[in-house]
Amino acid sequence: MEQDVTGTPIVKGLGFDSFGLGSNACTVDVDRENDKIIRIRPLHFDEHQTPEELNAWKIEARGKTFEPGFKTLISPLSLCYKKRVYSKNRIPYPLKRVDWDPDGERNPQNRGTSKYERISWDEATDIIAAEIKRVQETYGPASILLELDGHGETKMVHAPHGCQSRMFDLIGSYTLQTRQPDSWEGWYWGAKHIWGMDPLGQNAFQNNVIKDISENGDAVLFWGADPETTPLGWGGMMASRICFWFTEIGVKQVHIAPDVNYTNAVHADKWIPVLPNTDAALQLAIAYTWIKEGTYDQEYLDTHAVGFENFKYYVMGGEDGVPKTPKWAEAICGVPSYTIKAFARYWAQHAVSIAHCNGGSYIRSCFAHEPARLEVALLGMQGLGKPGANQFKFMEWTLYGIPTVTPLPPSVEIPDPSPAYRGWYRSFPDSFIPKTMIPEAIMDPPIQWYGHLSAGMPRPDQFNGPFTFPLEGNERLHMIWSDSPCWETCWNGGNAMQDALRDPSIEFVIIQHPWLENDCYFADIILPTNTKFETEDIGTDNDNGQWTLIYYEQQAIQPRMESMSDMEAVGEVAKKLEKYGGIYENLYERYMGGKTCEEYIQAGFENTGAAQKMDFEEFKEKQYYAFPTKEDWQDMPAGLIGFYEDPEANPLSTPSGKLEYYSTALAQNFPDDKERGPIPHWIDQGAGHEERQYLERGRKYPFLLVSNHPRWRVHANLDDVTWFREMEEYVKVTGPDGYKYEPVWVHPKDAGKLGLESGDIVRIYNERGSVMGGVRVTERIMPGAISQDHGARVDGVVLGTGGLDRGGANNLIAPTATTSRHAAGEVTSGFLVNIEKVDVFALAERYPEAFGRPYDPDCGLIASSRLVGEE
Amino acid sequence: MGKVFVFDVSKCSGCRNCQIACKDEHVDNDWSPYAKPQPDTGQFWNRIEEKVRGQVPKVKVAYTLHMCQHCDDAPCMKAAPEAVYKREDGLVIIDPDKAKGCEKLANACPYGAIFWNEELELPQKCTGCAHLIDAGQIPHCVDVCAHGAIRFGDEEEFAEEIAQAQALVPERADLDRPRVYYLNMPKRFLAGIVIDPEEDEVIIGAKVTAQNIGTGEVLVTQTDEFGDFWFHQVSAAQWRVYVEADGYMTRVFEESTTEEDRNTGPLELYRNAL
Repeated sequence: MEQDVTGTPIVKGLGFDSFGLGSNACTVDVDRENDKIIRIRPLHFDEHQTPEELNAWKIEARGKTFEPGFKTLISPLSLCYKKRVYSKNRIPYPLKRVDWDPDGERNPQNRGTSKYERISWDEATDIIAAEIKRVQETYGPASILLELDGHGETKMVHAPHGCQSRMFDLIGSYTLQTRQPDSWEGWYWGAKHIWGMDPLGQNAFQNNVIKDISENGDAVLFWGADPETTPLGWGGMMASRICFWFTEIGVKQVHIAPDVNYTNAVHADKWIPVLPNTDAALQLAIAYTWIKEGTYDQEYLDTHAVGFENFKYYVMGGEDGVPKTPKWAEAICGVPSYTIKAFARYWAQHAVSIAHCNGGSYIRSCFAHEPARLEVALLGMQGLGKPGANQFKFMEWTLYGIPTVTPLPPSVEIPDPSPAYRGWYRSFPDSFIPKTMIPEAIMDPPIQWYGHLSAGMPRPDQFNGPFTFPLEGNERLHMIWSDSPCWETCWNGGNAMQDALRDPSIEFVIIQHPWLENDCYFADIILPTNTKFETEDIGTDNDNGQWTLIYYEQQAIQPRMESMSDMEAVGEVAKKLEKYGGIYENLYERYMGGKTCEEYIQAGFENTGAAQKMDFEEFKEKQYYAFPTKEDWQDMPAGLIGFYEDPEANPLSTPSGKLEYYSTALAQNFPDDKERGPIPHWIDQGAGHEERQYLERGRKYPFLLVSNHPRWRVHANLDDVTWFREMEEYVKVTGPDGYKYEPVWVHPKDAGKLGLESGDIVRIYNERGSVMGGVRVTERIMPGAISQDHGARVDGVVLGTGGLDRGGANNLIAPTATTSRHAAGEVTSGFLVNIEKVDVFALAERYPEAFGRPYDPDCGLIASSRLVGEE
Repeated sequence: MGKVFVFDVSKCSGCRNCQIACKDEHVDNDWSPYAKPQPDTGQFWNRIEEKVRGQVPKVKVAYTLHMCQHCDDAPCMKAAPEAVYKREDGLVIIDPDKAKGCEKLANACPYGAIFWNEELELPQKCTGCAHLIDAGQIPHCVDVCAHGAIRFGDEEEFAEEIAQAQALVPERADLDRPRVYYLNMPKRFLAGIVIDPEEDEVIIGAKVTAQNIGTGEVLVTQTDEFGDFWFHQVSAAQWRVYVEADGYMTRVFEESTTEEDRNTGPLELYRNAL
């Protein structure tokens, strides 16, 4: 039979924003007759709306024109999505760990290694309900930890994260794992103290910055930024198009990073290799050069800044007897002093902006607040906010619904269909634990910290505390319910988390997820949830840089195997709790909130301006509505021009309203903090970190590891996509044992010294453990650093601290200590390791069970390898 | 009317949208009579090859599209005229009914664009998404390119660019007459930085002259504000390079771009005290 070529087009948003935010709208052609997805392709804005109705924008500069185009700029991370839906790693049915008996031996020590047996939904939900009741009664509600953050699919009604918190809000409380600002660590903990900029610490005033740079800018510094990679799962390829546009109009693109990332590879005019997490030394030497040569804007600082004299005193060596000269910096950061001086002079003579994309060694290493603050200090010394001199981002262009964070022409509305959202609604229980400190909270309570650590809190929240877990009179943790089971491979010191999850104090771990991976192996009960192709929903795409968009998502295919949506899965548990009466009475109806799925979708739609343009039926038929470009967008002030021109009328959100080179708030609140003092410094070591090559520990572990956002995944998502994994030279490295290892980039000079060749299998290690990888000898990484993307699926050989992972999930060996003493951020890139070749056959002999697990090189880890009777 | 593909290296960011879209379109979809389903892995009807060029800190990556060249004198048609045909629009199609068992076809393509499907016993390759063309659409790989790096259309429409283009394998162009045209294919670069080691400074505005030892061709440039010089799109050759700056002794050295792109590293000039 010939196949229907075009099929039925529906809409799906394939971003990973979660929490009801949306992005990456695609058209999906489905074959209704055969319950099949035919293809994924761009959505056309002009299918139902004309360019005039969209008020199509364009930026004209230097005789050229930049236009948004009328179809969404989707990425390979969307185009591959069929492979996710039909992955061999999907969880087929509810599972119970074979040696976990809620009425007998629980064998917590076997989590991570035991297999799973098939049980029914009925049986699984009975057990979960009984355990919730038992734990609540025995230890109190705060001894249940909910892990509900992360980057699941973008879904509203069938929210991937936090459906369980909706239920727990109705039956007492729980302990919340609060997710610190993991994407923005340094800016959040550091930059906020020099320029405010809530909620993230990155420039919150980016309107018209692209237009401004196009007209007035000479250069953009990509300080660790990779617009060809990081925005793909949360926006698409407009960022890449902007880079081509800069090239077309002659805006110089300078990359400062240890690696030739995917943007540098095609767009850079200049690469300045800098050793991981040594940017602060480079920045101080730039400040030194400007001060020495009198090439900074003292007049601007006189009116726009406080404390510059204190900073200058430190830079010139007054404070510690060490002038921060280019020669001093060269020894630390690896950039020749002549290049530092040339770069400093270039910057002083031109209109220069800085661009970011989050992540990487620049902003996720120890003391990350220092380079982030220093960057603002440098921008300030050259008249931050003047035409062509701003900071902007290539992604998150409507984050938190803020209208001023898009650097491109904005639409009239950022649609908010939140009445449809059924996930975590930011209820904040009294009992909470920073995500970075979970292992310690489980194994060694009580613990203390400052701030709520929920990304997006205003600056002064960092001074709240100390907070404590457990709260007075409460028990420690005894149960965990996670819908974001990638802690090990996405957070700091994952090997410690493996120890924590096997701690005898944890009596029950339940995980709901579509794929059997990472923390799932540590669960006692696993509920199979499904992908968005299997449900009906509503969504937005607000970060594409073209037009904001609201869309209706038809169900594409029937739920696969025995899966349910996250909302439905939790609902099944709610039904089972009702039999206990009391606080559990009528729980399912209360949990569902009195509306059907379709009614929630309608409520979401009606909360947006689209409801003024069409009724719900028409919306369902047309499937999308795009919001036109704002009228007179050209007249919106560009970036920080308001502050530049009149700082009194347009103050920053620092205590003084000005750039604070000396932070009075830090001085008052944490007077003894050596790593985050009032003035940004170069920090050698402290707060549990000794991550410098020139210190004692650097002799044992001489390489700094770059662990970037992955090119071919979104954090831990997509590691099973066969169409990526088959790109042998770029995505995985096949070992002599046929296993596909995560690539490690090693410079030819280092490879020569170590006797490594492309294709060799190695372990990267420090005292926290080892992760394996496959060597690619390449000029894309500078000598002294090695690079392995983060987010590979954990394939544990030896679990826990000092363990061995075959998958290459290098977060397992990242430091457990947080950013610094009062900044509980993660340190997951730019840390010390050593690297050595391994004999995979010898390892297989030594660890026959782990190396002998069923494995499919195309998909990698597969669900059946962990299921009894399915091997 | 003849259709062509045009691929512009300078517009490709290496994202692989085209390669993955080809998988999305052809794996597990049966587009008979043009193509049977492509196996999940192992075949690349559309493939982006990447090449890392140069040495730290002057490194670039070039991405090149590899696919069926839809040749007008296609070697595959000559190898199996009974199984391979050319549509009126120029697309070359392996007929999945007639080509069953014809393993020799998998080796007939000098571009490596034909793959053998063991399970179906079929030689398979890019069809130009003929099923979509018939439905009035464009090939899936072309539809998803955010930069217009791969385009598809009437030969006449692209006449100007075709005049600038080259073939994937230039020496086979006249023989096969491929219908995929390449713009801005990478040649070599020769680059470096000029410094004064005694002053610990880069030298801006130094004159750099590169002479192709084989042909005598002479290229001239100046170092920029970072002290860098770049010769882009030069031949694979032996070069004699002269570096001159006011007040400094001129340096002459030889470099080769025969095997690969070349970053000379720091070139040290010393003050002329003579």
